[in-house]
Amino acid sequence: MPLEALPLRQSPSAVVARGRIVVCDTAARAGGVAAGQKLSTALGLLPALRVFERDPVREAAALDELACWGGHFTPTVSLQPPAGLLLEIGGCLRLFGGVAVIVDKALAGCAAQGWTPSWAVAPTPLGAWWLALAGGGVLANDLPALDSLLAGLDCRVPPWPAEVAARLESYGLRRLGEVMQQPAAGLRQRIGNGPLDELLRARGEVPDPQRLFIFPERFSSLLELPSRVEHAEGLAFAGHRLIVALCGWLQARQLLARACTLHIGHDDGTQSALALRFGEPCRDEARFLRLLREHLGRLQLAAPVESLRLTADETLLSGGDSASLFAEATAGEGAAACVERLRARLGEAAVQVLAPVAEHRPECATRWETPDFRRNSGFTAAGGGPADEPPVGAPPRPLWLLPSPQPLGEHTDGPHWHGPLQLLTRGERIESGWWDSGEMRGEMRGETCAEIPATGDIRREYFIARNRQGQQAWIFRDATGWFLHGLFA
Amino acid sequence: MSALSPLAVNDVALADVLARGDIWRGDALARLPGQCISSGHPELDDELPGGGWPCGNLTEFLVDRSGIGELTLLLPALARLAADGGWLALVAPPWLPHAPAWAAAGIAPERLLVVRAGKEAAWSIEALLASGGFAGVLAWPGSTLDARSLRRLQVAAEGRPVFAALWRSASAAVAPSPAPLRIALGPDAEARARGRLALRILKRRGRPASRPLSLDLDRSGSRPRALAGPALSLLAAGSAAAAAVA
Repeated sequence: MPLEALPLRQSPSAVVARGRIVVCDTAARAGGVAAGQKLSTALGLLPALRVFERDPVREAAALDELACWGGHFTPTVSLQPPAGLLLEIGGCLRLFGGVAVIVDKALAGCAAQGWTPSWAVAPTPLGAWWLALAGGGVLANDLPALDSLLAGLDCRVPPWPAEVAARLESYGLRRLGEVMQQPAAGLRQRIGNGPLDELLRARGEVPDPQRLFIFPERFSSLLELPSRVEHAEGLAFAGHRLIVALCGWLQARQLLARACTLHIGHDDGTQSALALRFGEPCRDEARFLRLLREHLGRLQLAAPVESLRLTADETLLSGGDSASLFAEATAGEGAAACVERLRARLGEAAVQVLAPVAEHRPECATRWETPDFRRNSGFTAAGGGPADEPPVGAPPRPLWLLPSPQPLGEHTDGPHWHGPLQLLTRGERIESGWWDSGEMRGEMRGETCAEIPATGDIRREYFIARNRQGQQAWIFRDATGWFLHGLFA
Repeated sequence: MSALSPLAVNDVALADVLARGDIWRGDALARLPGQCISSGHPELDDELPGGGWPCGNLTEFLVDRSGIGELTLLLPALARLAADGGWLALVAPPWLPHAPAWAAAGIAPERLLVVRAGKEAAWSIEALLASGGFAGVLAWPGSTLDARSLRRLQVAAEGRPVFAALWRSASAAVAPSPAPLRIALGPDAEARARGRLALRILKRRGRPASRPLSLDLDRSGSRPRALAGPALSLLAAGSAAAAAVA
C-alpha cells in the first residue's frame, strides 16, 4: 500500500520512513534491497534505486477511494488504517453466489485498479485481519477452522507492542496456538489485558464491533497519474480506476448518477473539466467507461496531464429495480446508452427530441428538448397521453417545415414551385406574435448559442397546394408575396 | 415433387429446408423469420414478404422529390410502433420536423429523437440500429453511404426488432445494395392529379414484382374541398382591422 499509493513511480523504487526502507518493489528486491534496511545500505546495493518518502496523507486518500469501491460488495466497510480494509460479506453471500465468487471479484477489481492485496476471509474481523497480515490467501469458513489457522500464526503477526512479542518469546511461546493454551489469568498479569482481549476477539469469543466507514456525502476522488499523459486516450485507464470507486460509492449509498465531471489537472498548473452526462441516471461501470472513452476520443489535451479528479455532480436516489422474470429478448446497450454516446460524439444540441408548443406561429410550435428516458417509462405505464392530441377538426400541419420560408415565383396562374401550384384548401389565416417583433432570442445551433431574430409578428394566409409532380406543399401569402413553408411528405 | 419421390430420404430433408423462413421458392414470397409490421395499406402488405415492413432488415426508399407522400406511407406503421412505447429516431432529416404534425399522426414527439448527424450519419445510424433500444430508425444519409457502410448497417440491424428505413436518391437504384427490400417512390403518372403515390418494388425476397403499385394516401388535407369562398382573400397586411378580427 505505501508503495502503490505513490504517483510517478518507476522501477526500481522503494519507500522510506525515518531513514529506513519500509517497502520496495520486486525489481528492488531482486537487487538485494529489503524492508528494514538503512537507506544508505539500500543505495549502496542499488544506486539506481528511486526513493520516496512515505506519504500518509496520500495513503489515507487511496484507502478511502478503495473503501468506496468496496461498496460494490457490501455497505458495511470499515477501515483498518494504515492499509487495511474490512468488508463484512456474511450478509451478501447469496447475492453474489458464494464466498469464492466475492473473493474472485474483489481480487480482479483490485488488480484492475493496480493494487496487489493480501486477503483472508474469516468469521471474525480481527481473525481475517491477522490472517491477511500473515500473508493471507486463506479462507476460514467457521470458528474451528479459524482457530486452527490462528494457532499456526507467529506471535509477531498481530500488531502488538514489540515488548509483548519479546516477553512471549522469552516464555518460549512463538505461536498463537501456544499462547491460547496457557492459563489466561497468569498471562494477563504478565503481559497485560490488551493482547489477550484481542486474542479473544479474534477467536470470536468476545464480540468485536467495528467502526463503519462512512461513505462520503459527496463523491470527489483525486488520482495522481504515475507518469505524465499527453494523449487523451491514455487517460482511460486512470479514469477507469476512478469510475469503479464512483460506482462502489453509488452502490453503497443507493444512488444513481446523472452527471459527473472529470477535472483534468495539467502539469502547467491549469485545470480543465470534462462533463459526462448520462441519458438516464445509472451506475453501470461499463457504461460510464464507454461514455468516457467516447469523450476522450474527441478530447484535445492542451498540456500533459498529471492528475485526474472525478466528482459526482448530480445524483439521485435509486428506487431499486426489479429483475425481469424472463430474459429480455433485445440485445444491445439500449436506447438511453446509445443516445449518450451520440450526444458525446455529435454534441448535445445535435441529438434532441421534439416537444409541441401551443403556439399559432408554425416556427414556434416546435421546441427542442433533451431526451428524457425516465419520463418515457412512466408515460407508457399510464397508457399513452391523449392530452397531447390536437383538437378534432384542427387544420392539418405538414410533417416537415423549412428552416425559413422560401420565396416562390408568382405567375398569372398563381404561385409556382417546380411548376404551377394548385391550391387544395381555403386559406387559413395565422396572425400572431406582435409581442416579440424586433426582439432577439438565443437558440442553440451546434455548439454555440446564436442570437437570431425572433419570429415576430406574422400575418399570413396558409394554403395546401400541389404541383404537377405530386409534391404537396404548405405555402403562405403575406404582404410581400408567396412563400413555401412546409412539405406534406 | 414427384420427380424427387425415389429419393425418399432427401424428400423429408427438402420439405424441412423449404419450411425455413429464409428459403423461398421462386414463385412465392418469402416468409421472413423476423417479425414484420403491417404497413397499414392492405394492397401493399400483399406485395411485401411477410405481409408488412420487415423489422431487423434495411428497407431502402428511393425517391428524388420530397413531398410526394413518401413519409405518409410509413405513418401507420410508425404510429403503431410509437403506440407500443417504442422510440423512433430521425437521422439527418432533410427539413425540420414539425412537432404538431407528428403528434397528430400518433407519434409521441417526446420519443422522436432527431439526430443532426452531419458527416457522422453512417456511424450514428449504425449506433442507433445496434443499440436495440429503438423501434424505428429513419435515416437520410445523403451520398455519404458507400456499399461497405450499407453492409455494416444491414449487419447492425439484423436480428433486432427495429424498422430501419433509409432514404436514398433514385440514382442509387442501379447500384447494388445489401438491403433486402428496395422500393422506388414517385408520383403516379396516370393519376397525377389525384395525388396518388406510385411504388415500384425493385427488390424483395421472392418473385420480382411485376407492376407498380398505386396508393391513395390520406395526406392530411389532401382531399380537395368545395371552395365556398374565394381561394385568395385580399390581404391588407398592415391593417388594424384584420388584426382585430384575428
